[in-house]
Amino acid sequence: MNIDRDPALAAFRAEVAHFLDTAPTPDIREAGLKTTCVFAPFEATMAWQKLLNQKGWAAPGWPAEYGGPGWTPEQRAVFDEEYCKRDLPPLLPNGLQMVGPMLMDLGTEEQKAKYLPRILSGEDYWTQGYSEPGAGSDLASLSCMAVADGDDYVINGSKIWTTLAHKANRMFMLVRTSTEGRKQQGITFLLLDRMDYPGLEVRPIIGLDGFPEQCEVFFTDVRVPQSGRVGAENDGWTVAKALLKHERGGAALSPGFFRKIALMREAASTTRAPGGGMMADDSVFQRDLGVLEADVTAYAAFENMIRTGHALGRDPAMPSLNKIMSSELGQQVSVLAMRLAGIEGLPLQLAALDVGSGVDPLGSWHDLVAMPAYLNARATTIYAGTNEVQRDLIARSLGQA
Amino acid sequence: MDFSFTPEQDMLRESLARYLARHYTLDERRRIIAAQPGYSKAVWNQFAELGLLHLPLPEALGGLGGNPVDLVAVAELLGRHAVVEPWLASSVICAPVIARYAPDRLPGLLDGSATCAFAYEEGHGTADPADIAMRAEPRGEGGFVLDGEKRLVLGADTASTLLVAARLPDGKLGLFLIERTAPGQSLTSYTTIDGRRGATVRFDNVVVDPAALLDADAAATITALVQTAHLLLSAEAVGAMEALLELAATHAATRSQFGKPIAAFQAIAHRLADMKLAYVKARSLLLQTAALAEAGLASPRDTAMLKAQAGRLGRQLGESAVQVHGGLGMTDELAVGHLLKRVLFVDLAFGAGDHHFRIIGRPAADAMPA
Repeated sequence: MNIDRDPALAAFRAEVAHFLDTAPTPDIREAGLKTTCVFAPFEATMAWQKLLNQKGWAAPGWPAEYGGPGWTPEQRAVFDEEYCKRDLPPLLPNGLQMVGPMLMDLGTEEQKAKYLPRILSGEDYWTQGYSEPGAGSDLASLSCMAVADGDDYVINGSKIWTTLAHKANRMFMLVRTSTEGRKQQGITFLLLDRMDYPGLEVRPIIGLDGFPEQCEVFFTDVRVPQSGRVGAENDGWTVAKALLKHERGGAALSPGFFRKIALMREAASTTRAPGGGMMADDSVFQRDLGVLEADVTAYAAFENMIRTGHALGRDPAMPSLNKIMSSELGQQVSVLAMRLAGIEGLPLQLAALDVGSGVDPLGSWHDLVAMPAYLNARATTIYAGTNEVQRDLIARSLGQA
Repeated sequence: MDFSFTPEQDMLRESLARYLARHYTLDERRRIIAAQPGYSKAVWNQFAELGLLHLPLPEALGGLGGNPVDLVAVAELLGRHAVVEPWLASSVICAPVIARYAPDRLPGLLDGSATCAFAYEEGHGTADPADIAMRAEPRGEGGFVLDGEKRLVLGADTASTLLVAARLPDGKLGLFLIERTAPGQSLTSYTTIDGRRGATVRFDNVVVDPAALLDADAAATITALVQTAHLLLSAEAVGAMEALLELAATHAATRSQFGKPIAAFQAIAHRLADMKLAYVKARSLLLQTAALAEAGLASPRDTAMLKAQAGRLGRQLGESAVQVHGGLGMTDELAVGHLLKRVLFVDLAFGAGDHHFRIIGRPAADAMPA
């Protein structure tokens, strides 16, 4: 074994730290503090992506030929660590971690030239049109229809859980182009250049946290060009599966969890415990925080196994193991933070959470974000394949072993 | 970064795994535990032949100079078979201390004719050497008198010497090497739930030579020994977890009820998935901590965190393995119960999980190791 850190990384770390300390505008910093989910406040986060792109750092996971920084996995880990320490808003994943890498693998040269630079620069935001009211975990049963007509497809049906569709200017989606054969056959993958096509209607959905993050999108005879198709007609399931393997984008999530634990430790030292003293001295809180930190440390170790190509990280069930661990740990972090905030988490503070509103939070920053973060995190074990489906996959892989 | 075993470590593991699979069957293990002296001389001699007794010792003293990863590589396999021979207690914990302070006593430990036991625990899982209360008083004519009681002294009844942690008049911790035959010691010996030999050792006016005091300021040495115990007990637990997961998955795939394998029921399938998650977390943390230890970077907090996790995740996984086996899991006749008891031992010895977790969760300044 060998856990030595490359001394050259120290200089790289200093360079990263300097940029992250000096480049973000006040709005971007505010957006970071007000981030309560995977999808950070939209406008400020896209502005931050533009700044990062000017530095060449918008897409740490992209190959250099497409505009990635060409970092080693160790440099990537240093960047993630330094990023998380500063509470900066995470970049929105749909373009950078999903559509972009998928196009590199499967897109035509025209599609790559047209879309990749604008994904990188933050000019485009792509919403994901997969789920439907009748097709969630059983995604392949989707029924939103596209019928070929000349050079176009004509789409009828609806999509749901299209994150930030009301802010998006583009959409990637799965449509049904055939009802013959297995349900996985007959699905086609489409890129939509606009969100203002005639017949396309977006309805934001207010979530548990009070924010319209998710949307429903309705299609009535929406005519889109066939040139937006990725892969062959009726072969979209293959494309979707290829995209899935990029969904995490190789970013480590443990640094963010460690940061939240550090912030909780800090908050606990000034949060009064019932019956006197501070929460930091409460033995039940200490035990629960200790279990959480130990569990995050074990997850960070698993991320290291993946990063270094160890056999444990090459397990056939790795994507499911990783998805369950990261989502459930994120929820556990959010539960402890919510318990720590106590009644201070009960006031609904939508205006104070809005970037640039100028409305001060009633209490601390921790109290402001703890409850919406908890509520939003309930989604993590539902989206991207529910954890029940993931457990089925892990059990199946054990049966084959 | 690289968390793989070296080709040499893999080779040693292959030899040991082959030997254990062949000679350390469940039936053989039960025979060993039921008979005197509670471990097998034949197995012990084979360990000597494989170099396991030399592995933890520096090359300058005739050892093989094994590093913490070498020891973890071995301990994981010993846990997989719930081995009861006192390799951890004698060869890993005690022998290096004897090598450093009393090398003349080493040959017996190396050829397998003698063992030594670590008398540390004083009750309720002495997690921190600072909690040691047993006293060693100097005598006017030289030497010391020891009074007090040590608990869960592994391998005490067959050991020729005891390595005893006791507090000196100046408040510092002393480390003594005491003959098992020295008058004033009384042993209450027993078999532990996981098949090892343990004992409560009472010391009533046990008189020892000045030379018995190996180290008059041994806090750092003892902390390092506890770290070693934490790391290797965790390795044993992870090895046991791997076996438990395999046994449960195989049983669920072959046991049929209501006309289909029970693995086809989602309630069982999800339990198996949770077991896999626990195993992957525990083993990842074990390998990372082993790599830190090899680089000299593992703090007492790191090793205590590992031990607490191995115990917590191991118990969860082990309880599930018993549940998946149904009534059969409740019997002494299957390995599953023996392996559950091995992880329970790890969970409770050298500081129970809740204690370690609470220390980890203390405010930052306190949580840092001394």
